[in-house]
Amino acid sequence: MLDDPLSLARLQFAFTAATHYMFVALTLGLAPYILFNQLTAVRKRDGARMRAVRFWGGLYVLNYAMGVLSGLVMELQLALNWSGLSDMFGYAFGAPLAVETMGAFFVESTFLGLWIFGWDRMGRWAHWACFLVVTVTAYASAYWVLVANGFLKWPAGFRIEDGVAVLDSPWSLMGNPSTLMAFGHVATSALLVGGALVCAVSAAHLRRGNDPDRMFHRGVRHGTAVLLLAVMPVVTVGGAQFVLYGQEPPTSGMTYSAEEIAAIESEGASSAVEAAGMAGDGVMMGSWMLICIVAGTAGLVWLMNRLDRWRWVHWMLMALPVLPYAASIGGWTARETERQPWVVRHHLTTADAMSDLSPAMATASFAFFTAAFAVLAAATFWLLVRFARRGPEGGPLAPPRPETEPEDGAQVPARTL
Amino acid sequence: MELVPVLFLTALLVGYFVLAGCDVGLGMLMPYLARTRGERRRAVSAAAPYFLGTEVWLVGAVGVVAGLFPGLKTAVVSDLWPVFAVLTAGWLLRDAGLWLRARTDARAWHAAWDAAIVGGSWTLAVCWGLAAGALLAGGVLSPLALAVAACTVVLFLLRGAAFGAERLVPVPSDAGPAEGPHSALSADAAARLTRVLARAGLAVLAVAVALGALPGALEGGRPLAAGAGAVVVAVALAAMAGTEGPGRSRHASAAAMAVLVPAVGLGAALPVEPVPGAVLVLVSVALAPMVPLMVAGQAALYRMLRRPAPASGFFARVSPAPAGGALPGGSRFRPTGVGGPRAGEPHRT
Repeated sequence: MLDDPLSLARLQFAFTAATHYMFVALTLGLAPYILFNQLTAVRKRDGARMRAVRFWGGLYVLNYAMGVLSGLVMELQLALNWSGLSDMFGYAFGAPLAVETMGAFFVESTFLGLWIFGWDRMGRWAHWACFLVVTVTAYASAYWVLVANGFLKWPAGFRIEDGVAVLDSPWSLMGNPSTLMAFGHVATSALLVGGALVCAVSAAHLRRGNDPDRMFHRGVRHGTAVLLLAVMPVVTVGGAQFVLYGQEPPTSGMTYSAEEIAAIESEGASSAVEAAGMAGDGVMMGSWMLICIVAGTAGLVWLMNRLDRWRWVHWMLMALPVLPYAASIGGWTARETERQPWVVRHHLTTADAMSDLSPAMATASFAFFTAAFAVLAAATFWLLVRFARRGPEGGPLAPPRPETEPEDGAQVPARTL
Repeated sequence: MELVPVLFLTALLVGYFVLAGCDVGLGMLMPYLARTRGERRRAVSAAAPYFLGTEVWLVGAVGVVAGLFPGLKTAVVSDLWPVFAVLTAGWLLRDAGLWLRARTDARAWHAAWDAAIVGGSWTLAVCWGLAAGALLAGGVLSPLALAVAACTVVLFLLRGAAFGAERLVPVPSDAGPAEGPHSALSADAAARLTRVLARAGLAVLAVAVALGALPGALEGGRPLAAGAGAVVVAVALAAMAGTEGPGRSRHASAAAMAVLVPAVGLGAALPVEPVPGAVLVLVSVALAPMVPLMVAGQAALYRMLRRPAPASGFFARVSPAPAGGALPGGSRFRPTGVGGPRAGEPHRT
């Protein structure tokens, strides 16, 4: 299986998309928390809360880097490896992604740069407004990516001319039901990721008795509140998506007749892919149930006012982030495998969408990007854990100290080049 | 009206090469310019804040090509798959290096990510050069393509040198008591390089023009457009070839980079089809409210980064734990009286 360019290209996309999403989910989930924290700090002119913002912001910035790096590869991978998709659906699929890169990511990165380098260099409300822009554009980015992805599952709003899709109605694209429900589901599940991380880091510090300015006392409560608020909407919006299962998209029949569709689906059915989808579904729903239990328990312990003291609660919360991450990967696996063998349901199969890749190109691309992502994701994860454990002192966004190192003048050995 | 999307795409690409040329070029020159640890940190700290703001131009350009000009994308990418794949890899490595370098204090870590920054920057410049050359000459391995690639690499180096001559001047607070006339080593080296590179660039450009003037060298393109581009680059390089330092070379190197995109686009007669109506409506309506934010944000970011690069900060060093927990001077907040560790209270373990 692994010497077939199609399998390699698909696996590469699956690995890189899953890695990308893990960092994106934390970006989406942590941004509102930092925004809310900074708003309180700025309104109350509270230096202690601002130090907490520097701490959570430092973790956010570390995480954002890997999100950007993996996102670059995702964008170029689509252009390089999946040119068949661009040939037939270039405008319909590519236009929302163009809007995402320009209208969302461009602004998000620029204003994040302003937020990082403008600390103490602009008015406090202007600084907070920069992060407001970052948060809003992060969610806008997620929306536009899901416009493209929802189009794949539920193609609507175009007609076929000479084998190429011509966009009829931009509003069908933007209001696509698959898109809207997926966006609601992604937004609420990202809040679970963010809330779980805040709980876990806060609990880890509370366990060691380290709580400068009571920031982790606040953190564990905020995190638990977010979990309790988001855990039911996640499953409600997620479950609503089942209404589309088994239904034909409105443009069905424009490219292939019903019999051809049935033939393609039966021929392209792969038990491995189906098994992966079912496993993803199971992991997602199982994780959700466990998150319910953990969040509910934490809520009860909070009512009993023992969140700062009981060790077993701290250990439970420290283990919690595994669950929403597993649920996210499982959910995406289920979503993407359910559409196979189609890349655009009932119009274009995955095999037809791939570029003309020789086995050498596919193998080289797969080997390099999978290895690079593994190394970078591991490095980022290690750094996140390290700085989370260190606490607010000496974090990535901590204020600079004007010390010079003793060996500043030491020559760098030539072999480091 | 048909011209507007094309002009928008051209502006994005020109913006990318002019702006990102600075940090890519400086990354390429780092081993030559920055020989001590402090200078290395300063070089990374000079380049790194920009890359976040400059690479978004390329990400946007790729998105616009993929979404608004899929025919152009096929024409450019399908033959040049290996070049763009290697470019992506180089881009990934360079960005990873810039972001992760300062996160620990270990020498081996710094050395590894420095190598990624330098290697990634060179990969980017060479791949862009090969792409430009291949589009003009019709094949990656023709002599004209290689000459154009060499010219592009020199333009990147020039942009980096002009940028470094200005940005690598040490901040007065960085200079310790022992620093004397050698305190701006990197900046001086960069300034000297602008003249050397401008002359080298003229020589390589002459070779490229000679090769391009041969019959059949330019693959079905417009030789006049390519020639006009070469003339502009020659004028810019000549303006820099007499003096050294950041003053004139900043603008001249920017002009040379800027003309690269239209010269290749027109010179290679790249296919650009009009954007269909519904797509144009979707993209215009979605982007129109964001354009003021884009412009304002970028302008503010570059104005804020105008000050010379310190050897400290997010991209330069890990901040050590402050003693006593005092707030930095000049903070706009009054210290809170709530909670916090009190002196003498032992931590519960």
